[in-house]
Amino acid sequence: MGLTADLNVSVQSLLASTESMDVTTTNIANQNTPGYARRTVVLEEAAPVDDGSSTGVDVKAIQSMRDNVLDLSVNAATAQQNLSSTVSSSLSPVQSLFADTASDSIGSTIDAFFSSLQQLSTSPADSSLRSSVLTAAGNVASAFQSTASVITQTQQQADQSVVQETAQANSLLQQIAATNGEITTAQNLGQSCNSDQDQLSSLLTQLSAIMGYNTVNSSDGLTLTTSDGTPLVVGSKAYPLTDQLNSSGFNDVYAGGTDITSTIQGGNLGGYLQSRDQTLANMGTQLDQFAFQFAQAVNTVQTAGSDANGNAGVALFDPPNTTTGTAAGAASSISVALTSGSQIAAAASGGASGDNSNLTNMIDLQNQSITNGVTPDDAFSNLTFSIGNTISQANTAATATGNILTQLQNQQSSVEGVSLDEESSNLMLYERSYQGAAKVISTIDTLMGNVLDMGVTDPGY
Amino acid sequence: MRVNPNFSTDMVNLLDQAQQAEDNAAQELSTGRRVNQPSDDPAAEASMIQENSLSAAVDQYTASSDSLTDVLNTGDSTLSSVVTLLQRAVSLGVEGASGTMNQSDLNSIATEVATIQTQMLSLANTSYAGQYLFGGTATGTAPYVADAATGTVTYVGNSNQNKVQIGTGLSVATNLPGTSIFSQPGDPSATVFTALQSLVTALQSGNSSGIATAEVSVDDSLKTVNTAQVFYGSTVDELNTNESYLAQEKLNITAYENTLVSADTANAASDATEAQTILTATVAATAQIDQQVNLLTYLH
Repeated sequence: MGLTADLNVSVQSLLASTESMDVTTTNIANQNTPGYARRTVVLEEAAPVDDGSSTGVDVKAIQSMRDNVLDLSVNAATAQQNLSSTVSSSLSPVQSLFADTASDSIGSTIDAFFSSLQQLSTSPADSSLRSSVLTAAGNVASAFQSTASVITQTQQQADQSVVQETAQANSLLQQIAATNGEITTAQNLGQSCNSDQDQLSSLLTQLSAIMGYNTVNSSDGLTLTTSDGTPLVVGSKAYPLTDQLNSSGFNDVYAGGTDITSTIQGGNLGGYLQSRDQTLANMGTQLDQFAFQFAQAVNTVQTAGSDANGNAGVALFDPPNTTTGTAAGAASSISVALTSGSQIAAAASGGASGDNSNLTNMIDLQNQSITNGVTPDDAFSNLTFSIGNTISQANTAATATGNILTQLQNQQSSVEGVSLDEESSNLMLYERSYQGAAKVISTIDTLMGNVLDMGVTDPGY
Repeated sequence: MRVNPNFSTDMVNLLDQAQQAEDNAAQELSTGRRVNQPSDDPAAEASMIQENSLSAAVDQYTASSDSLTDVLNTGDSTLSSVVTLLQRAVSLGVEGASGTMNQSDLNSIATEVATIQTQMLSLANTSYAGQYLFGGTATGTAPYVADAATGTVTYVGNSNQNKVQIGTGLSVATNLPGTSIFSQPGDPSATVFTALQSLVTALQSGNSSGIATAEVSVDDSLKTVNTAQVFYGSTVDELNTNESYLAQEKLNITAYENTLVSADTANAASDATEAQTILTATVAATAQIDQQVNLLTYLH
C-alpha cells in the first residue's frame, strides 16, 4: 500500500470523525427533545483490498438507541396513569355530597325527616310540628334534586372534556398517519428515518396520555387500533375521530364511522368516559331508584291513613305512587305534593285527629328495606361507600401506576436519554481522532514533498 | 448498566409525593379528622353515615321523651287533683251516712258534692297545648259532655292509646282513655260522675243506706283513679330512666365516631414533621443535583 492509499484512509478517518461529531452535536442539541432517542455512530473497518491491507474506517450506520418494547411499556403505563388520575379528578366534585359532614345530604335530610315524624307522633295534632314535617320532606326532595343535578353537571363536564380530548386525539392521529407514511417511504428508499421515528415516538406518547391503543407493525408501517381492533391508523391513513350525540345527550366517539366509545380504554379520554358512562351513570340510576322507592314507600303509608281533617291521605311526594311508574328522572324531579301540614295522614284510616298510629307506620319505614333493597340510611351509606371507594381505588391506582411509570421512564431514559458527560467524552474522543488523522495527512504531505524534491538537482547558481 | 442521565422526572415525582404527604398531614391537623372525604376511607365514611343516623335517632328519642314527660306530668298532676276531690267526696259521704246529721246539713253536704262533681268534669276535660288528655286519641274535642237539661255526663272520646317510640324497638303509651280512668273496670256506665250523682241524690233524699251505697261507689272510683295515676307516674319514670340510657348511648356513638374518623393528633403531627423533612430534603437534593459538576466543567 502506498502513500496515496494512506491518504485516502486518513481522509475517510477525517470524514468518520466529522460524522461522529455531527451525531454528538445532534445528541446534545436534542437532550430535552421529547421522543428523542440518543444516537450512536456505528463504525466499521472498511473492507480490505486484495493485498489484505486495510482501507480504513467506514460509518456503517447512525443507530438510534430506541428500545421499542420499553417505549410501548411507557406508553401503556402513561395511558393507565392518566386514566386513573382523570377518574379521580373528574369524580371528586361529587363525593362531597356524600360526606358524613354534609348537613344537607340526602342521608341527613332523611334522618331529619324521620325525626320530624317522631316529634309529630308525640303530639299528632300540633300544627307547627305538622309544618316541620313538610319542611323536612321538602329538604329531602331538594337534597335528591341537588345531588342529581351535581351528578348531571359532572357528567356534562366530563362530556365536554370528551369532546376536547377527542379533537386532540384526532389531530395526533392525523400527524401519526403522516409521519408513518414518511417513515415507510424513507424505508422503501433505504433512507434513514431516525428523526421521523423520534417524532412518531413523541406523538405516540402524547396519544397514550389521551387514550390507550394497540399497535401492530406491518409492511405498511404502524397500525393503531382500539382495544377491540377497530382501526385508528393504518399506514398513512388515519380514521378521523368524530363526536356524535347519543340518546342520553352525551357525545359518543366514532372512528371513521364506527362507534368506539366503549372500546376506548386508558388515557384521559378513557377516564372521562368511564366516569361519565359508568360511575356517574350508575349513581344517577341508583339515585333515581332511591328517590322513587322512597317517595313510593312514604306515599303508600300516607295514602293508607287519614289527615287532620279526617280526609283520606293523599301522596306526600311527587312523583306519585303508581305501580307502573318508572324511576328514571325521579331524583331530579321529586317534590312535595302537599301544601299544608294538616294533610299529613298521622291517623289510621278513619282515626281520630289525635291518633298517631299511621305516623308510627311511616316512622317504621326508616328501618325497612324500602330503597335499593336496603333501609334508606343504608342506601345512602352504600352510595357513600361506592363513590368513595371508586375514587380511592382510582387514587391508589394513579399512585401505583405513577410509580411504575416513573420506573419505566427511568429505564427508558437510561437507554435512550442523552448524557452530557458521555457526549462530552465522545466529543473529546472524536476530536483526538480527527487530530490524529489530520496529523497523518500532514505527515504524508511532508513525505510526498520529500519524494517530489528527490528528483530536483541543485542548479548550483 | 447505563445510568439514567435525566433525573428531572424522578425529582418531579418525588417532589409531588412529598408535597402531597405534607398537604394530607396539614389537613388532618387542621380539621382534627383523619377522614375528610369519602375517598379517604370509604368504609369508615359509610359507617359514619350510619352512626350519624343512629345519633340523630338518639337525639330524637331524647326530644320525644322530653315532650312526653311534659304531657304525662300534666296528666299525673290532674289525676292528683281528682284523687283529692274524690277523697273529700268519700269523707263527705261517710259523714252523711253516719245518720247524725239533719236534712239541712245533708243538703249543704250535697251542695259541696255537687260542686266536686262540676270540678270533676272540668278536670276530666283537662287539655295540654290545646289537646284533651283523657279522650283517647280523640283529642280535639272535650271528652266528657254534660247534658244541659239532665246534667248526665257522657263520654264522647274513644278508647285508643297512642304509642311513641323512645328507643330502638321501644315505645311507650302516651295516654289513658277517660274510660280507663273515670269508669269502673268492666262497667263503662259506672263512672265517677254517676257515683257522685247518686251520692248527691241520696244526700238530698236523706237516705242513709243510699248514702252509704253511693259512698262505696265513689270510693271504688277513687281506687280506679289511683290505679290509673300509677300509669302516668311510672311512664314518666320510664322516660327518665330511658333518657339517662340515651345520654350514655349518645356518648358511645360519639366515642365510636371518633375512632372511625378522628385524627390521632400525635401521629398526624409526626407525619407532618416527617413530610416537611422529606420535602425539604428533596428540594435541597434537587437544587444540589442541578449544581452538580459535569465533564463540561473541565473541558476547555
